[in-house]
Amino acid sequence: MEKDVKKNRKFLVISGPNLNLLGTRKTSIYGAGSLEDIHQGLKLRAQELNVTVECRQFNSEGEIIDCLQEAHDRFDGVIINAGALAHYSYALRSAIGSMLLPCVEVFISNVHTREEFRHKSVIAPVCVGVIGGFGKKSYLLALEALSNLGNV
Amino acid sequence: MAKKVAVVHGPNLNMLGKREVGIYGGKSMEEINTEVAAEAGSLKVTVDFYQSNSEGELVSYVQECRGRVDGILLNAGAYTHYSIALRDAISAAQVPTVEVHISNIYKREPFRHVSVIAPVCIGQICGFGSHGYVLALRALMEERLDPWLA
Repeated sequence: MEKDVKKNRKFLVISGPNLNLLGTRKTSIYGAGSLEDIHQGLKLRAQELNVTVECRQFNSEGEIIDCLQEAHDRFDGVIINAGALAHYSYALRSAIGSMLLPCVEVFISNVHTREEFRHKSVIAPVCVGVIGGFGKKSYLLALEALSNLGNV
Repeated sequence: MAKKVAVVHGPNLNMLGKREVGIYGGKSMEEINTEVAAEAGSLKVTVDFYQSNSEGELVSYVQECRGRVDGILLNAGAYTHYSIALRDAISAAQVPTVEVHISNIYKREPFRHVSVIAPVCIGQICGFGSHGYVLALRALMEERLDPWLA
């Protein structure tokens, strides 16, 4: 039987608090490129993969939750870099857990080499999987992972 | 000269496709290795495959990777969660290492939520089944091309 992979799939990419500052702060950890550069890279990769992406950034936890709640009828999957919220936002975890879309968690840095409080993600258990430590490429790999889910 | 990557499978991964397929999927280790080899071919890198159930043999193999390969792709299985010896071997090898898991370890028992090897690896990929190995190979081989990483 042929794999039934939906055409014209659209994925939502959400970046959380302080990621709008990428390229301007702690560049030794987060790299020199901006979030806009990441979004451009994702759009190029999406074209190659025959999917579309919509990229958003929010500093506000509540706005991310609003966005996820509205995602289910517009998107086929979500990539999220929740920033520091990953480590404590149970509200975000509940929003991801209840949205019925596959979600992939990404980190730019390797959180396990950093402070103890960053070693735990409260959203990881409600995500399909986690990709972290590969710089901006974490986002690109997450897009490939999400695009490939229907083929597994 | 073509870059070389060692793909290292830890304990019980030789049983892939035969045990707990609901968690680990129906593909065998050999089938996964074939997929990784195909991706390696398109990336123009060579790959060595290794599997051992023995912690000590894994430690020896990782030690011997020093100066011999350009990257290690490691699914350490259950040793991930407690083998400080394997962690020390990765540090000593001084080879960029990517940690891979077939399942999302964070959805499973609490003892699997901690990886003692993660702090000495470049990064971690988990939850994407056999495709995680292909993603890890891409992560590893394109890593030095990423101008964002020091």
